[in-house]
Amino acid sequence: MLSLSNPEPSKAITAPSRACADQHRVAARRRETMAQGQLWLLTVLVLGPLVIYPLARLLLLSLSGPQGLSLQYYVAFFQNPQSRGVLVTTLWILIASASLASVLGVLLAALLFFKPFAGARLVTRFLELYVAFPSFLIAFTLIFLYGSQGSVSISLQRLFHLSAPPFDFLFGAGGIILAEVVFYAPFVVRPTLASFEQLDLHLIEAARSLGARHLMVAFRVILPLAWPGIAAGTLLCFLLTLNEFGILLVLGSAQLITLPVAIYSSATVDLDLPSAAAGAVVMLALSLVLYALYRHVQRYQLAGAH
Amino acid sequence: MSPDLLTNRIASSVWSQGRRKLARLADTLLLMLAGLLCFWLFVLPVIVVALSSVASHWSGSILPDGLSLRWFEQLQSSDFNALLTSLRIGITVALLGTGLGLWFALALEGRDRRGFGVVVDLLTMLPNGVPSVVLGLAVLIAYHKPPFDLSSSAAIVVLVQLALVLPFCYRLAAAALSPELTVLREAAASQGAAPLRVLLRVVLPHILPALRTSLALGFALSMGELGATLIVYPPGFATVPIVVVGQVERGYYLPASALSLILLLLALMALLLIAVRGPARNRN
Repeated sequence: MLSLSNPEPSKAITAPSRACADQHRVAARRRETMAQGQLWLLTVLVLGPLVIYPLARLLLLSLSGPQGLSLQYYVAFFQNPQSRGVLVTTLWILIASASLASVLGVLLAALLFFKPFAGARLVTRFLELYVAFPSFLIAFTLIFLYGSQGSVSISLQRLFHLSAPPFDFLFGAGGIILAEVVFYAPFVVRPTLASFEQLDLHLIEAARSLGARHLMVAFRVILPLAWPGIAAGTLLCFLLTLNEFGILLVLGSAQLITLPVAIYSSATVDLDLPSAAAGAVVMLALSLVLYALYRHVQRYQLAGAH
Repeated sequence: MSPDLLTNRIASSVWSQGRRKLARLADTLLLMLAGLLCFWLFVLPVIVVALSSVASHWSGSILPDGLSLRWFEQLQSSDFNALLTSLRIGITVALLGTGLGLWFALALEGRDRRGFGVVVDLLTMLPNGVPSVVLGLAVLIAYHKPPFDLSSSAAIVVLVQLALVLPFCYRLAAAALSPELTVLREAAASQGAAPLRVLLRVVLPHILPALRTSLALGFALSMGELGATLIVYPPGFATVPIVVVGQVERGYYLPASALSLILLLLALMALLLIAVRGPARNRN
């Protein structure tokens, strides 16, 4: 960044060095123009086709009508008996799973950081690799564990001599929430760990030596200092959970219709692209609000780190 | 010291020793409980996929009835086609994403906080905040009929996955570009090195670890992507996740496991390249 900014003119300028500075300034200006041109080139050639044009077409299609602009497809999408109430369902599933995942993730991070045990590093590494685990596979593995023929169900059934499988929650809200908690808790661990690593451990020792108990240290010392990281992790978790699709498709498409599944089925099953676009624009607005919040908190966290 | 005080002290030290022991016991119990929970939630699912893919039969029993490789032997040509499609698309997306990510990072270095650079940075990162289904639908609407008709080629899948992967690649490359590297670049340029030479001889060697991470992550993300791909994929270009989800919905769990295991192993191989070699590089 140092050398990218314009060179400052020195205080005592002699004639030859002024000429040199002029030359330098011209070169810097030319470099700046080139850089701006490159940014425009990238925007038009790469971001245009990848992001801007598709999203603009989506918005236009959702607002199109017989003559000019209209909101008819929004009305159609949300009054369709199949997708009525879909927004409420989506939101409560989101809040339930993302809150649980955040709490679990923060607790896990606290455990890994404050009570490091043999293999804690290995667990951290494993959680990082977990990012590459496709989410629909989580839903799939839960079927093997808790489905009516799953290992856990059969074990409990044999243990307590039940005539029927002990639970039937998988294909519905219960299964979706369980899968999303399992999948998204690790995403909270990393930002939280990062903010724990910035803590001044002397403060915690000081609080302990002054007689503060575990809970008091946690709530009065650690949380106020580490909250930007925890907030960033939690917001990320909400954003990712809202954007989730695979889990909802595998476990929810039969009984519990959520916004992504409704968009998917109205686009590919009903072949009704305008209605799907209306639903997608609503979902996009929700996601972008969360995303803007996340960026804001993340910038705050980065500013705190320097 | 009076004898009274001494007994008091001994008593209190015994008392505090007892309490410390109790606290340690509670700590150990808590750790074991947490370990069990972690294992249950995060490790068991991975074991289950692996185990079910080599099960000869697994239904109505706690553990598989027997072990066999028959689900791998029974993989059909459509499964292999899906694997090939996934591999091709994954490699293309990883290469393009890493290249473009590096270009964006270089073009935006020192400019992502002011002027037009803010907008470019925001637009590049935007797909991170867009649901994959929404992006898939947007790309389908934009490119399913003339003037831009990509509806019968793999290009539409590459396009949508590239948009989803680009923010990660851009961030990784941008994080690797340090002020020291900028000084080196400008020093090389001022000595008369051509831009391509600067890129190849100065920039690339410095950020090689970040590029490797970017390639591996791009590949893994592309291999596992479901939402956007499911909406845009043209007939004949089904990737592994699409085939697996189709099999799960029809109840063919064990063949789906075999295919998922291959998918996981491929993604894991790519990621292990980072996990094993990444830190060693950083230490040098």
